[in-house]
Amino acid sequence: MSKVIVVTSGKGGVGKTTSSAAIATGLASKGLKTAVIDFDVGLRNLDLIMGVERRVVYDFVNVINGEATLKQAMIKDKRVDNLFILPASQTRDKDALTEDGVESVINELKADGFDYIVCDSPAGIEKGAFMALYFADEAIVVTNPEVSSVRDSDRILGILQSRSKVAEEGGSVKEHLLVTRYSPERVEGGDMLSVEDIVEILSIPLLGVIPESGSVLQASNSGSPVILDEASTAGMAYSDAIDRFLGEDVPHRFMNVEKKGFFKKLFG
Amino acid sequence: MELKGEMSMLNVLHLQSTDLKEISQQIEAKRDEVPAFFLNSPVVVDCSSITDDLKKLDLKGLKACLTDLMFVPVGVRGIEPEQQAMVTKSGWPVLRAGPKKSTSKPSGKESSKPDESAKTDGDSEIQAQVSEEKATISRIIEKPVRSGQQVFVDEGDAVLLTHTSAGSEVMASGSVHVYGALRGRVLAGVHGDTNARIFCRSLDAELIAIAGRYQLLDEGDTDLRGKPAVIRLDGEKLIIEALE
Repeated sequence: MSKVIVVTSGKGGVGKTTSSAAIATGLASKGLKTAVIDFDVGLRNLDLIMGVERRVVYDFVNVINGEATLKQAMIKDKRVDNLFILPASQTRDKDALTEDGVESVINELKADGFDYIVCDSPAGIEKGAFMALYFADEAIVVTNPEVSSVRDSDRILGILQSRSKVAEEGGSVKEHLLVTRYSPERVEGGDMLSVEDIVEILSIPLLGVIPESGSVLQASNSGSPVILDEASTAGMAYSDAIDRFLGEDVPHRFMNVEKKGFFKKLFG
Repeated sequence: MELKGEMSMLNVLHLQSTDLKEISQQIEAKRDEVPAFFLNSPVVVDCSSITDDLKKLDLKGLKACLTDLMFVPVGVRGIEPEQQAMVTKSGWPVLRAGPKKSTSKPSGKESSKPDESAKTDGDSEIQAQVSEEKATISRIIEKPVRSGQQVFVDEGDAVLLTHTSAGSEVMASGSVHVYGALRGRVLAGVHGDTNARIFCRSLDAELIAIAGRYQLLDEGDTDLRGKPAVIRLDGEKLIIEALE
């Protein structure tokens, strides 16, 4: 049974694409056949984060318009088996996404035996974001520890539970909270909302907390999903989140300020 | 400018007969009891006791008669939906029916025969029961009311089992009960019910309003922030009290 997951947030720049890339890669490395679709038509980024920008021939909109088959447009990842990327078009706008077109692509992926279809949503609550979430069974809501991001996530949660297909049919989309760019030092200093505050405001289950880390930027620039960087805290946190997503009980890490040891204090 | 629905006191003329001559005589007699009080006073005509015979009533004539007697005819209420066109055509605005209590006064203002009025009395009692039942219907909302969402309960109370978010709006003609944190805007008694109240487990609202009287809830406005609270209207003032 294939599942459609939307990675969404409302607000821009919180780490949706980074998270989509990491989650899709993480699921595929568990041996699950995974497709990740970039819904940000006109501002495509996922191909860069995944390091496949030079391999894009056809895109999502070409497939919707019948100008290419899904097989032609899908890019197979070279590092991880079972991982396929469907890039967005850079030359079109969000109106190119039609409900029937998106549905037919998702249905074809389901028929193709994909376990997970990860939809990387654009920012905002307009057509692109709406199309990305409409067919979702589960939603990973990406939030930064600051009030505007939390409020936008709240708004997206409301839309998910009222306007998605599952909601229209009387069901409810399973919700997961992913807090990104978390800095325990700044939380302690009072500059950032704590995970507890965010969970209290949004009241949805916490999937993971990704600490602020330089390796995320590095990974983006080099076109390799950060989850593959097993030495970085962000990579480890994403791996934990995948385990939790698949039902394992993994304790949360990197949420508290690390106590510096005596030698670290001495030698920096 | 401002345009909103509010409650005002109006004289309501409960018709029990369609005989214009009889009606006019009775109104005149009533008016002459306290002429100064009724001079130029607005009056609403309630036809709920004569809906079946409404055709027989000369509505245009009634309007002229009321104007002659120095009343200001405001509108007609208590008619069936299919009669609306007929009433509008005769130059009367149609009002939505309000909650009915007892339609006929024993003073016999317009009553014709005693046995008939007894019958209509019985009818109106049933009606009153029905409208009371309607008014207590509450809507239960099980999911959180998130930012950007709006819940509007036209008739009755809004009962929210979880929280409301900042940037949400809950409105009800009756009271609003929130069994979680109240963080958005909340408006109770939107049709003017001054007895409506707001209850919540944790008060963190952006705006509170009862029957059109509103208040923004800034930091320091109340020491009950984040605590269980009940809000009621006392005259023109919203009172926030702890909910024990």
